[in-house]
Amino acid sequence: MLRFDPVSTRDEGGHEALSQLSFEVAAGEMAFVTGHSGAGKSTLLKLIALIERPSHGQIVVDGQALAKVGRGGIPKLRRRLGMVFQDHRLLMDRTVFANVELPLLIGGVAPAERGRRVRAALEKVGLLSYERQLPDSLSTGEQQRVGIARAIVARPAVLIADEPTGNLDPQLAVEIMGLFAEFQELGTTVLVASHDLPLIKRMHKRVVVLDHGRLVADIAAEEVL
Amino acid sequence: MSAPAVTEKAVPRSERSQARRFAGWREHHGWSAAASLRRLGARPLGTLMTVAVLGLALALPLAFYLLLANVQSMGNALGRNPAISVFLKADQAGAQARLLAGELGQRAEVAAVTVKTPQQGLDELAALQGFSGAVHALDDANPLPWVLVVQPRAGLDAAAVDALAASLRGEQAVDLVQDSSQWRQRLDALLGVGHRVVLVLAGLLALAALLVVGNTIRTDIASRSEEIGVLLLVGASRAFVRRPYLYAGVWYGLFGGALASLLALAIELALAGPAAELDRAYGGSLMLGALPWWLLLGAPLAAAALGWIGARLVSAWQLYQAD
Repeated sequence: MLRFDPVSTRDEGGHEALSQLSFEVAAGEMAFVTGHSGAGKSTLLKLIALIERPSHGQIVVDGQALAKVGRGGIPKLRRRLGMVFQDHRLLMDRTVFANVELPLLIGGVAPAERGRRVRAALEKVGLLSYERQLPDSLSTGEQQRVGIARAIVARPAVLIADEPTGNLDPQLAVEIMGLFAEFQELGTTVLVASHDLPLIKRMHKRVVVLDHGRLVADIAAEEVL
Repeated sequence: MSAPAVTEKAVPRSERSQARRFAGWREHHGWSAAASLRRLGARPLGTLMTVAVLGLALALPLAFYLLLANVQSMGNALGRNPAISVFLKADQAGAQARLLAGELGQRAEVAAVTVKTPQQGLDELAALQGFSGAVHALDDANPLPWVLVVQPRAGLDAAAVDALAASLRGEQAVDLVQDSSQWRQRLDALLGVGHRVVLVLAGLLALAALLVVGNTIRTDIASRSEEIGVLLLVGASRAFVRRPYLYAGVWYGLFGGALASLLALAIELALAGPAAELDRAYGGSLMLGALPWWLLLGAPLAAAALGWIGARLVSAWQLYQAD
């Protein structure tokens, strides 16, 4: 489902951000990518979403070799991904409903179907009663859940999240991670970048550890203590 | 019971998805048109100023067009029957004048020749304001010569009329030839320059309008860079992101063009009184006209197209940078 076949890339300063990185995440698997700040976690996610391109190597997402995706194909690829960000990136002048509806509007889903799916996604993250509110009126945790609803509403094959609990208190962080685990159980491939080791350990999922852009450990779920 | 299932099977899946894609595309156009209009309404002062600048810029060529069209119309009315006045020498008598008139009337390039007696000339002079006293002072002495008014054949070009006038000057009995079509030629030349000036001006002002819309859209896009970033990340194509800005450009152009048409109409109304007076002074023969309806309706549409082009150029560049 997700394959890095040894991938290297450099940052804007010319430093190697990822070096010879090879790993695979199977369909329906959930994995964490962890490491200290600057280890290459966010770069890895950016490569998956084609926000950046690798210098060397091949990345395959949902059967699609990203090297073959041209500029015009990027939107189509991103529609097959769900993305969750640390700062949730909601549109503050649009209601919760309108924010979650965005991927469906972009995908040309019929209005009635959009309404049904947006409400289902909001219900899933426990925010159905907030659909008419603006994001500003919600707490940080609620805003993050709106971001998650937006990421899953189009039923993506792959869900990637970059430090999705970075701004949340421990209790909320556990709730959010629980949501990701639920999506995995429904068959979605989930890759979460996080530096919150205690939280990662609590989730008992596979952990890929990066250090200075190199893969230093790949710990199976059952080995996570 | 089975009817819906049959219908479902009758339409291939690819056609259904294509129809849905088209419906989605159409729906987003409607949404973009309405959303861009709402955004314009959300900042009324800025929108009004942009529309006012566009309206004033586009009203200028319309006003010049109105002026030129009317000058041309006046020229047409006044120079409808260009004629060459042939003043015979003082020693020429009526019989010789009529003989020459008959000869000239035979020429292929001449449509008609009218003989004007010295008395008719004097009567015309007396009828002119300010000349009656001078005419009375002449008592019975009439110094005016016989005059032949030569009407060139219709459709004769300026060079042929010039050649005719030159040949008339060569006649022995002729003292002076006045070609009334000459002023018309000069006016036509001036109008040609005027038309070119209006075209150049219209081109420059259209470019200015395009830049005004482009700059407005540029600042609009810059202020919404975060929103654009989010849209691109969740899979929006550049066409999808661009659409509301294109509609904003169309609205700016449409409103600016409509204002330009209204301003041109206001200029027309403001000039209507003096123009009517001028027309009356010429016995109602000037045929002064208004701006044609197709131009008044076409100006907003052309301005909308300009707005679209301005928005398209700027948004393409900005989104290329953002993506």
